[in-house]
This record gives sequence, structure tokens and C-alpha cells, in this order.
Amino acid sequence: MSDEKKAHHIYDKEGKVGQDRPWIFRTYAGHTNVWASNELYRNNLAKGQTGLSIAMDLPTQCGYSSDHDIAKPEIGKVGVPINSLDDMLVLFDNIPLEEMNTSMTINGTSMWLLSLYVAMAEERGVDISKLKGTTQNDLIKEYLARGTYIFPPEDSIRIIVDMYEYCLHNIPSWNASNICSYHLQEAGATPVQELAFALTTAITILDAIKERDCFDEEEFERCVGRISYFVNAGMRFVEETCKMRAFGEMWDEITSDRYGVKNPKFRRFRYGVQVNSLGLTEEQPENNAWRILIETLGVTLSRNARCRALQLPAWNEALSLPRPWDQQWSLRLQQVMAYETDLLEYPDLFEGSLVIESKVKELKEQAFAEINKILEMGGGVEAIKTGYMKSSLVASQGARMSKLIKGEQIVVGKNKWTDGIESPLVSDSDGGIFSVDAEAAQKTIDALNKTKENRDPARAEASLKKLAEAAKSGTNMMEASIECAKARVTTGEWSDTLREVFGEFRPPTGVEGQSLSIESETLSHVREKIEKFIETHGYRPRMVVGKPGLDGHSNGAEMIAVAARHAGFDVIYFGIRLSATDIVQSALEENVDVIGISLLSGSHNEIIDQLFDELESNGAKDSIPVILGGIIPAPDFQALKDKGVKRIFTPKDFDLMAVMNEIMDVINVQKSQ
Amino acid sequence: MSKNLSKQIANQKSEQEVLLSSMNEALPNKLVELLFKAKMHEKWPIAQLISIFERNTTDNLIARHQIISYLNHHPGKFNKQAMVLGITGTPGAGKSSLIGEVCLSLLKDNANISIAVLAIDPSSHDSGGALLGDRTRVIFPVKDNRLFFRSQASQLDLGGMSKRTFHVTRLLRKLFDVIIIETVGIGQSEIEVQRLSDHTCLVMQPLAGDQVQFMKAGIMEVPDTFIINKCDEDALAKKSLHLLKSSLKLASIYVDHQEAKKKNIFLTSAIKRKGIDEFCQFILEQIHEKVCQNRLNQQESYFLHKWVKHAYGEFGMAVFEHHSKDEQLCTGTLEQKELRYKQIIADFLTHIN
Repeated sequence: MSDEKKAHHIYDKEGKVGQDRPWIFRTYAGHTNVWASNELYRNNLAKGQTGLSIAMDLPTQCGYSSDHDIAKPEIGKVGVPINSLDDMLVLFDNIPLEEMNTSMTINGTSMWLLSLYVAMAEERGVDISKLKGTTQNDLIKEYLARGTYIFPPEDSIRIIVDMYEYCLHNIPSWNASNICSYHLQEAGATPVQELAFALTTAITILDAIKERDCFDEEEFERCVGRISYFVNAGMRFVEETCKMRAFGEMWDEITSDRYGVKNPKFRRFRYGVQVNSLGLTEEQPENNAWRILIETLGVTLSRNARCRALQLPAWNEALSLPRPWDQQWSLRLQQVMAYETDLLEYPDLFEGSLVIESKVKELKEQAFAEINKILEMGGGVEAIKTGYMKSSLVASQGARMSKLIKGEQIVVGKNKWTDGIESPLVSDSDGGIFSVDAEAAQKTIDALNKTKENRDPARAEASLKKLAEAAKSGTNMMEASIECAKARVTTGEWSDTLREVFGEFRPPTGVEGQSLSIESETLSHVREKIEKFIETHGYRPRMVVGKPGLDGHSNGAEMIAVAARHAGFDVIYFGIRLSATDIVQSALEENVDVIGISLLSGSHNEIIDQLFDELESNGAKDSIPVILGGIIPAPDFQALKDKGVKRIFTPKDFDLMAVMNEIMDVINVQKSQ
Repeated sequence: MSKNLSKQIANQKSEQEVLLSSMNEALPNKLVELLFKAKMHEKWPIAQLISIFERNTTDNLIARHQIISYLNHHPGKFNKQAMVLGITGTPGAGKSSLIGEVCLSLLKDNANISIAVLAIDPSSHDSGGALLGDRTRVIFPVKDNRLFFRSQASQLDLGGMSKRTFHVTRLLRKLFDVIIIETVGIGQSEIEVQRLSDHTCLVMQPLAGDQVQFMKAGIMEVPDTFIINKCDEDALAKKSLHLLKSSLKLASIYVDHQEAKKKNIFLTSAIKRKGIDEFCQFILEQIHEKVCQNRLNQQESYFLHKWVKHAYGEFGMAVFEHHSKDEQLCTGTLEQKELRYKQIIADFLTHIN
């Protein structure tokens, strides 16, 4: 028997043939309230999930307690509401913190959630240095693609650095932030943009940490080693595999060249993945199951670039929030892939491939060029403030939409092979869609009130005062936040205290100057209609486009705004995080011909009610038509139309010019009345 | 003259007579109601009235005349005469944020003040449409009727400013204390804003070298006030102030010595809320110096001339000059004057036969 090592085996430290352990299986989960979510987590863990990935509701993510006006329609819709330490204790009831690897998708309020987690561990007598997990805490991508930022960029970076400093000294296995390229791809980023913007964010944070000068050389190296990423994987899985390899190589170069990190262990590119949801379709949703599997390949095939943790969307993402069964089905994919195949028995399959090496080289060159461009502009923060990065993303998304509309990019079931037999999967009595129990929100609010009643008001007030002082003086705010958590301060109170000190931020929308490259018959048709309108009425039709509520996924609204301008409308693009009153007020002041609302957080019914009430009280309900776009489940359409919504557009309506055409029809009908 | 042309002129003349008689009718009750609601600063009535002044139809032409006449004949009920503040500057200077902070500050300190903001954004040359994004820059108070915000597209007017903006200010002057016009300034717009405003401000970034560009374009003489925004840091602010002052001194070599008007300079930071109070104080002083009728007449005259030149060219200007003493060209509303001019042209064409 030859002792010679074979290239196709993996050998362990003793030289024995072995295989890799699988990556961590996660499901992004959380909904309704802490009791329901606790049950869900315990079930998922029992089913074989090996880590927790916590979804919080929008008010919690944006720094509002459940009893705030802006929070009411959104409680528990996209995740679990957490108002205080009491809620946290229920959420993790009977879940062993020492063994758990907990990933929290939280950004604007990440310091608060980490403080709650630590306070909970301390109250339970758990050694906090053993805690493992991640707070997403990547504010740059929030400004660019997700919208749950609160404070201005410099203050956000300061918070991130505070957390790195605290974690390295107190919770060494905690990833203080997760640099995200995932959301950038969802917002339309190309692979080069994903590489460049994510790595720029990492550089921005490390530069800020260096500037604070709170670590010695050895600590700084460990800190660099703690940087982890959250990446996307799309349908072009070969390119995605190369992108992941490029990430690894570029990170190795950056950490050694720019930061002088000597230990190769700390230069490793560590990342988790959720695969692409933007490309999942509403039409023929069953195809999404295949898409999810294919997207998984890009982040699992290449051993050297394999993800550490994987989250998969559910097949019905484009329809509404997935039900537990849908998530289970995606979990099974991971288990089948990890345990039934031979993938984990082999070393890297692509090492030495000429094709892969060439593609990786190209991606690296282009990405480094973009990074240097941004650094020359003044760095990541500057690129956010000027809107450079945002505009680049909007442009990429616009290019993608143009290709889809022209048919240059094919998506099966959407713009090709659109006919077929209806899927049996959506014919369940609940229409294959999850809905939130409205009464469950009351339980959360009752718990919030109880917390406020039972706490020591003096301790709470004192802790908030200390927090404000720390914020103003530049001291690390973690200790003060942890004390706030123990004093049963609420999410809204913590956030408002910091809002007072830092102010609230409104980033550039990135839509100015954008246009689409479509020249189609439908476009000419719409432009003709608009010219006719101008001739008859003496002005150009006006539209206001906005996103009410706390959801910040603005691509859809941005694309509509850009398309409308391209068609010839005057568009008042109002952005995100608006109340129904904001939108109605601007619609009135601008005397628009149509109001366009974009929603995908499940709170459409409540928000439409608010909107129509506001229009009614101004006497304008019958004068300004309202149209709705986003993720709206079909069963809700009729009720919305009965309330007065004129048209509802979903991801199926990807031909933006056809949408504009219909909008003109709505406007013309209104005018003729 | 050809039969066809005579016929056209005859048609035009009869159209004009119909218009004239319509214009002489009283303001319809529906519009009177809107006017009084607008006086109370109700938002939708104001918005609908603004649309009448923006939208180019014959009905609106008549309505505009009737509204302005009504306002002029009821000076007791509509006694406001807003000060128009024009704010321009390159993109990136932070105009919108600055205007936002200024409005918030004025509203906070003056319970009875009323402000209208007209924000003008460029129209696309390809599609004709426009993205009007100035509302997004500031978090405005909701349901405070003292502040009204309206976006306008510049259309493809070469001046970067549309005639519609002027029309709208004619209305808004009677309803508000201050009108702030915000435009992106590159080239022509700075000069046009001056035509439209009682007081013009140019907003710049610190040490951005804008001054050199502006000097080259001969724009330094135009603004009455300079604002250096983004002065978050004191040292940078001082440096910029010094640079601006020396640039101005250099430029004034070419300025008429008799017009030794003192230019104002303000250093502000919208984000840090610095310098805002000083600028607001200045605005309040301007409001109290009521705008004189002379100035208003000058403005109207400028836009009348501009319309004539645009619609009838140099030839039209010559005809206009020839009839400058015509009583109906000198009195009445702008709409009446335009109509009168069209009559003059029609008569002229008939007579040259």
C-alpha cells in the first residue's frame, strides 16, 4: 500500500483520509412575537438546524418600540419585535446560550441588541466570553440597499468601532459586524461592484479602528481576523464561484499589504451566504426550487471558497413571507447536499483550472480599480454622502431591468416560456402564503407596558443619561448600553437618546440623472400618450412615488421613478421611511395626478387604510388615484381594490413601460371624470 | 395679403375678443373659495391654484387674469407681499439641506411666519420628464400649514428657469411672507434667478474652487449674498471666507464704482446647524423692508419682454418698442398686456397689406 498522498483526498492532521464537516445550516427566521419565535427556534434546532439566524421586525431594526405610531402597522411582520430585556429572555427561553451560534440581522440598533444579548447572558450566569455569534452591523449597505440606518455615516462607523473594541476584549468569538455584499446584489450590483463595495466597507471599518488606536499589534491582527462577510450567490454560478475565490484572494492581499497582518489564519476570508432572492420569480414559483439549488453550487463547490454558513430563501419568496414548511424544504436541500453527496470528501476541485484562474484574475483587476477609485474620492463614507455608490447601484439595476424588458436577459417563466400548467403548490387554502395573526401584536404591547410598569424608573433614567454622556464624549457606549438593557430601557428609548445626540440621516436617493436604455414600441406609445396629455391639459403629468412604513428595500420604487421619468413624467421621488401623512401631504402640495406606493413588508392593508383616511380628511380621496406596487399576495387584491386602489403591480409586471402605459390610462380616466 | 392669411388673422381677432370678454367676467365662486382657503394656508387649495398658474391652457389664462385682478382689487383682504429669496449654487453645495434647516429655524422662532419653497430641478432632454427630488433632503414638519413646498421641472427653457415659476410667484406673493426659490445653478440659471428674486444667494462649498469658475463666467456680480455651506470645521471656514473676499475684491475692479453695494457673506453648516440663526435674522430683516412696487413692475416688464422676444423675435421687440406708449400695454394684468400685444400684432399684419 503506497504511503504517497493522493491529490483527490483530504488528509487530516495525522495523515488519515478524512472529510470536511458541513457548513452551518441556518434559516433566517422570526415573526409575530417572542413566544411564537421561541417555539419556532426550538423546533428548527430539533430538526437539525445548527445555528440561529434571527429576523427582527422593522420597528426593532429602525429603533422604535412597538407602541410608537410608526411601528403599529409593522409589529412582528418581517421578524420578531424586541422591546426590552424581558422580551429577549422569552425569545431564548430553553435555548442554551453557551452552545448556540446566534446571528442577528440588525444594523442601526445592533449595539442595543448585542447589549441585550450580553445582559441576558450575565443575568443567566453564562460566561460571556463563551458567546458565539454575529451582529450584522453593516451600515454602509443599509444606506445603499436596505434602509434600516438611523444615524449619520460617521456616527454609524463610530458605533461599529465601539463594538469591535468591546468584543475583542470581552466576547472574542463574536463577529461584531458582518460585511454584506448580499444586499448589494439584491439591489442590482454586478459581481465587480459586490467585490469592490464590500471590500471598501471593510477597509473603511479597519481604517476607523486603526484611527482609534485602541488595540496593540497582536490585538489588531486578531480583530482583522474577526472580520466576516455575508455574501450573495446568484444564478450565474460559475462566475459566482470565481467571485468567491476572488474575494478570498483579494482579502488576503488587502490584509497583508494594507494592514500588515502576518498570521495567515487572520487573513482568511470568512463568510456566510444567503443565495439570491432578486432573481426568484412570482411566475411559475416552483422553478425557484431549482434556482435555489443551482445558486447553492457557487458557494459550496469550491472548497477553498466554501461558505461557513448558508441560508436559503424559500421557493415562494416573491409571493410573501414563507411559512415554516417552506423554510423546512429549503433546509432539506442543505442536508441533502451536505450528507448525500460526496462533495465534502474532496479538496478544492478548481485548483489549477486555467479557465477559473483567468476569470478570477479579471474580476480582481476590475474590483481593485473600483476600490482605488473610491479611496481616492475620500473613502467609503464620502462615497455614501456624495451618492456615488448608490447611483452606481441604481444604474446597474436599471441596466438589468432594461435587459429583462428587452429580452436580452432570459428568466424562465417571466419573459420566456411563460405558458404552462398551473402549479399545484399554490393551491393550498392559505394560497401558499403566510399571514401574521393581528392579535399577537397586542401580546407584545402588553408585555412592553408591563416592563415599563415593573422597572425601576430611576435606574432607567440614570442609564439613559449615562448613555447620552458616553455618546457625546466619544467614550465606548457598550457598557452604558448593557446597563440600559439591565435597567429595562426600551428599544425606542435607547434609539431616541442617540437620535438626540447624533441626529437622523437622509442619504442621497441615487435616482437623479438615471435613465433606462429602452427604446421599445411600448415606450413610444406611452410618450405619445403623454404628449397628448400635455396638449390637452397644458402640463406634464405628475406622479409622486414613495415607500410608506419602515421597509427600506427601495429598488422597486427607484426603478419606477426612473422609468417614469424615462417615459416623460415629472416624478416626485420621495424616498423611504415615510408615513401615510407625509405621502399625502406631498401629493397634495404637488397636486399630482397619481400616487404610487411601494410596499413589501406585509403591512399593505393597514397602510392603505391610513392613506385613504388621510386623503379623505383633505377632501381629495376621489380626486387623486392611488396605485400600489410590491409584494402583495393575490388574495388581498380585491379588498384593496374595493378600498379604492386603482391598480396593483407585482414583480410579474417587470415591463416597466407597460406599467407606465397603464398608469397613464388611470390618469386619463380620472381626468375624464 | 392671401385670403388664407387674412382668414387666420380674422379668426385670431375674434378669438381674442372672446378671450377679452371672458377675462372681464368676475372670478367664479369656486375659485374665490379656493383663494380664501389658500389665504388660510390650506395645502390643497394652494396647490390647485398654483396649477392654474402653471398649466398652459386658455381657461387657465383667463383664470390667472381673474385671480390677479381679484387680488389687486381686494388689497385689504390680501395684503401680503412676500419677499422672494432666490437660492442657487452647484449641486453638492448642500442647498436643499440648508434651506430645510433655515425653514425649520424660521418656523420655530416666528409663530406667524409663512414660507413657500419652490424647488426647481432640470428636465431630461431625452424624455422631457424630470426627477424632482428636493423634498427628500429634509424632514419637514407634517401638517404645519405655515410651510408649503412645491417642486417644479425647469422644462427645456434655455434660462434653466421656466416662465411658469414667475407666474407662480405672482400668486404666492399674495399668500406668504417669504418665497424661497431653489435652483441648480450652472451658468444661465444664476442670472435668471436674479430676475425672479428680490434677493439672490449663491451657496458654495468651502474652498471648492467654485469661485474661480464663477469669476470666469462673470457670475460673481450677480448674487447679493454668498453663503459658504458645509463649514463644519472652523479653520476651513476661515480659509474659505478669506479666499472669497479676495476673489470678490478682484472682481470688483470690473464693477461700476457707483454701485458700491456691499455684498453679504454667511458661513453655515446645515448638518451641524451652525450659522443658521444669523442667516435667518438677515432674512427677517429683508422681509420687513417691504418690496417696492417699482421692483414688481420691473419684474413683470422683464418677463413680458422675454415672452415677446421668445414668441416674436427681434421683429416683435421692434413692434413692442414702437407701441411702448400704448395705454393697454402699460396697465392691467400681464395676461391683458399679452392679449393686447397679440391684438397689436394682428392689426399690424392687417395694415401691412
